[in-house]
Amino acid sequence: MKNRIKIERAILNITQDELAKRISVSRQTINAMELNKYVPSTLLALKIAKIFNTTVEAIFLLEEND
Amino acid sequence: MMQSILLPNRYKVIGWILLIPSFLLGLYLLLFGFEPNWAKAKVLSIFPNNLMGEKGFFKMQEINITQTLIGVLFIIGGLLIMFSKEKIEDEYITKIRLTSLLWAVLINYSLLIVAFVFVYNLAFISVMIFNMFTILIIFIIRFHFLLYKNSKNLVSEK
Repeated sequence: MKNRIKIERAILNITQDELAKRISVSRQTINAMELNKYVPSTLLALKIAKIFNTTVEAIFLLEEND
Repeated sequence: MMQSILLPNRYKVIGWILLIPSFLLGLYLLLFGFEPNWAKAKVLSIFPNNLMGEKGFFKMQEINITQTLIGVLFIIGGLLIMFSKEKIEDEYITKIRLTSLLWAVLINYSLLIVAFVFVYNLAFISVMIFNMFTILIIFIIRFHFLLYKNSKNLVSEK
């Protein structure tokens, strides 16, 4: 699974730390998601989409081998 | 999720305070066999079975409790470290916690198989003594190694 968190974060111009605080997770979690090392739960995905003011599908994208 | 069984972060410090001295004392006990005389106490033994012949159930016995104390403190310390939340406990940390536990159980039993096959007779008692603590030790090492690896990634990323 790919995601656009880093891009969306750049558009909003917030750091990993700020995003982490807004959805009350650790900065490590944001970092792991941006590096595609961690797939978040539905709950966390919904929270992220809310911060970026968009839908979950717009941020998280399936890849061919998923 | 599993947050319900985790303790607040401050218990982790207490865990380290118990674990480190009991680890060092335990090592000293294993290597040099130190059992101070003042550590004798009357204890309730559920299943006494010593060589002197006294048998039965639920008897009071006088025993040197050095091993008991060190073992109990070590396990309590280890459990406190294992079951305390991180400063920010979220689902990713929970995942690291669970994978570390899987790792610990797997490595523990792999080592035990090796020991079963290659260690015999009285030496196997030492294997069993170590084995009482290996899950805790491997978990703590693996969990903190993964946390450390992740925080190192953070520095390089911006």
